[in-house]
Amino acid sequence: MRIGAAKQTYAADEALFDTTVQRAWLIGLFALLAVFPFMAGPYWVYMACLVAINIASATGLNILTGYTGLVSLGQAAFMGVGAYTVAWLEVNVGTPLPLNLILGGVVAGLAGMVVGVPSLRVKGLYLAIATIAASVILHFVFSHWTAVTGGVSGLTMPPGSLFGLTLDEPHELYWVIVPVTVLMVFGAANLFRTRIGRAFIAIRDRDISAEVLGIRLLRFKLLSFALSSFYAGVAGGLWVYFFRVVTPESFPLVMSIFFLAAIIVGGMGSILGAILGAAFMTMVPEALKLVVGWMSPWVPDAVALLSPVRTIVFGGLIVLFLIFEPQGLAEVWRRVRRFFHLWPFKT
Amino acid sequence: MTFKLSRRTVLAALVAAGLAAGSLAPQARAADDIVLGGSIPLTGVFAFAGEGIHAGIQDWVKMVNEQGGIDGRMLRYVPEDTAYKVDASVAAFNKITGQNAVNLYYADSTAFSKTINPELERNGKILMAGASFATELNDPEKFPLQFIAGPDYTEMFGILLEYVSKEKPGAKVAFVHSDTEFGRDPIASSTERAKTLGLEVVETIVTPPGSVDVSTEVLKLRRARPDYTIFHGYVLAPIPEFINQAKQMGMETKFMGTFWSMDNGIVMKMGEAADGFMGVMPYRYYYDDSEKAPMLEKIRQMRPEYQSTAYLQGMLTAMLMTEAVKRTLADGKELTGPNLKASLNSLKDFDTGGIIGVPVSIPGNSIPVGRIYQADMKQQKMVPVSDWIRLDKAGG
Repeated sequence: MRIGAAKQTYAADEALFDTTVQRAWLIGLFALLAVFPFMAGPYWVYMACLVAINIASATGLNILTGYTGLVSLGQAAFMGVGAYTVAWLEVNVGTPLPLNLILGGVVAGLAGMVVGVPSLRVKGLYLAIATIAASVILHFVFSHWTAVTGGVSGLTMPPGSLFGLTLDEPHELYWVIVPVTVLMVFGAANLFRTRIGRAFIAIRDRDISAEVLGIRLLRFKLLSFALSSFYAGVAGGLWVYFFRVVTPESFPLVMSIFFLAAIIVGGMGSILGAILGAAFMTMVPEALKLVVGWMSPWVPDAVALLSPVRTIVFGGLIVLFLIFEPQGLAEVWRRVRRFFHLWPFKT
Repeated sequence: MTFKLSRRTVLAALVAAGLAAGSLAPQARAADDIVLGGSIPLTGVFAFAGEGIHAGIQDWVKMVNEQGGIDGRMLRYVPEDTAYKVDASVAAFNKITGQNAVNLYYADSTAFSKTINPELERNGKILMAGASFATELNDPEKFPLQFIAGPDYTEMFGILLEYVSKEKPGAKVAFVHSDTEFGRDPIASSTERAKTLGLEVVETIVTPPGSVDVSTEVLKLRRARPDYTIFHGYVLAPIPEFINQAKQMGMETKFMGTFWSMDNGIVMKMGEAADGFMGVMPYRYYYDDSEKAPMLEKIRQMRPEYQSTAYLQGMLTAMLMTEAVKRTLADGKELTGPNLKASLNSLKDFDTGGIIGVPVSIPGNSIPVGRIYQADMKQQKMVPVSDWIRLDKAGG
């Protein structure tokens, strides 16, 4: 049982990870991430990269929806902006990978700021519809601005390279995707310890009160949109380095719903929530496929018979989570932690 | 002593049972199996075709193995559902190729075929084909290890236009297509092709895929007064709505479609108004017994109920892949992607058992052959109205 964590300095009190146990777990996690590509097969490394990309984008959406209270269904379209920017730069300019990623994020961030303008007037479902409208416009641009986006065929780009190394396989890209995602997650976690992050939370909790407190709504709402879209843009950039083809159909509206579902299932307004939610939404369908695979020796043609069932089970799991754990997976995690903290006593 | 069954115990037991089941699963596989992997859309928007494709490949694999396999080596089909999503398709590819020495692969979409192409070339051991008839894939230089088991979309339009130019020289044609990569694929090149055949493209209408209200577009079509209207990029909607409204307005244009809107089940769903709906089909329909087709007879014996054109597509793809393997092994060559593709390209006047009505050759990445069929609502069948049309290189 953990009895207490005495802090003797303000710095210790402000630390993101305030106990030795937490820091030890974190080091363990980094060690695991570092050895993972050497231990796991190509499929698992591929899935790890995909999960990391989704975590980056879900974290961005969490800044906007979870922390600022502005519902957005445009996250996939912003990823598209980032992906197209990166692909265009890679094909036409040949700028280095880190710069491309940053520029992808910046262009998406600017697009996000424009899309965020209605947020000063509308909230909730109305804002969601406004972001859907924006994503429809962006999709129109993707498919019709042929000179830049390649039209309906999209853009196919060569593999990215970093320090002279060509990154054309998941286990090579892992070393870009995972560190960038970790950096972005840490960035988001620290954001909410700053004045800007706290302003976002104040807007979420009651925007009028926030304004009374001196928080300029236009500035901070647009900043939240810009940051969220920046995250989406970088995630889109990572996505296009990963898949190397981007078409107008690469980032459909359903993908935005996927990210919204991820932060709801994971826990809105929680950094851990976005991580767990994105991992859950990406990995559970794959885990269910594994179960179907295990059943194939006994169920003839299990893949065909059980695939529709698998989809139903996935949908059912999401509904069950929303009913039984409305605060998301992050709350489950917190409960597990509490159990061990208080062990052998019951929570 | 009492034993209390807690929720946690049950959960742990279930997980343990699952893991045990996984580890104890009988592994019916041999090291020298020929492996046909597949990213198959068994769920999602393309499931209607995925189920047929899956059954077609499965039946072909069964037939091959019942006859002793290929050169004594069994053909093993390893499918994975993708829900028609590119990331899931790539995941399936990585998973299947990670666990098996894959020789052949079925791809579920154009986007996946394009995405996986660099990996396919890097891997160098796999020959791939799939559900996509995209014109872009019909380029042996860009996609050297892939092929299309039929004509690409531009070639499908080429076959339709060739038929039109013979039936009514100088006819007016309209194109109606969806605003997707699939829909836009053959339009620009086919507009040019129509001109060279002396046909006039009087209108090109773009709609969202699956749109419902098409009254404005039908009015546009009426103003253009085309003799033929070709739909592309749809499966069903909005084709029936177009046809119904056009017939109500007394239009006499002949409506036509391409492969994915030409399945018998789909056309019959369009209703009475679709009587006379025509289109290009590279394969014979399941029930077609007008000429000798041993493979179709075999299919009818195996499955007495109607099988979709997607089924035939899946089966033919697997058949051509198998033939490539057979020829590569017969030549004493290693089963690599380039060798398999070279063997496939060596096919000359190959008999598909009647699935395609004429012997086929695959000099490049496609089989530019097809036939025009027309809906006969009384018989509830698609009936042929042309002979098999083979495009020469200039026509493609």
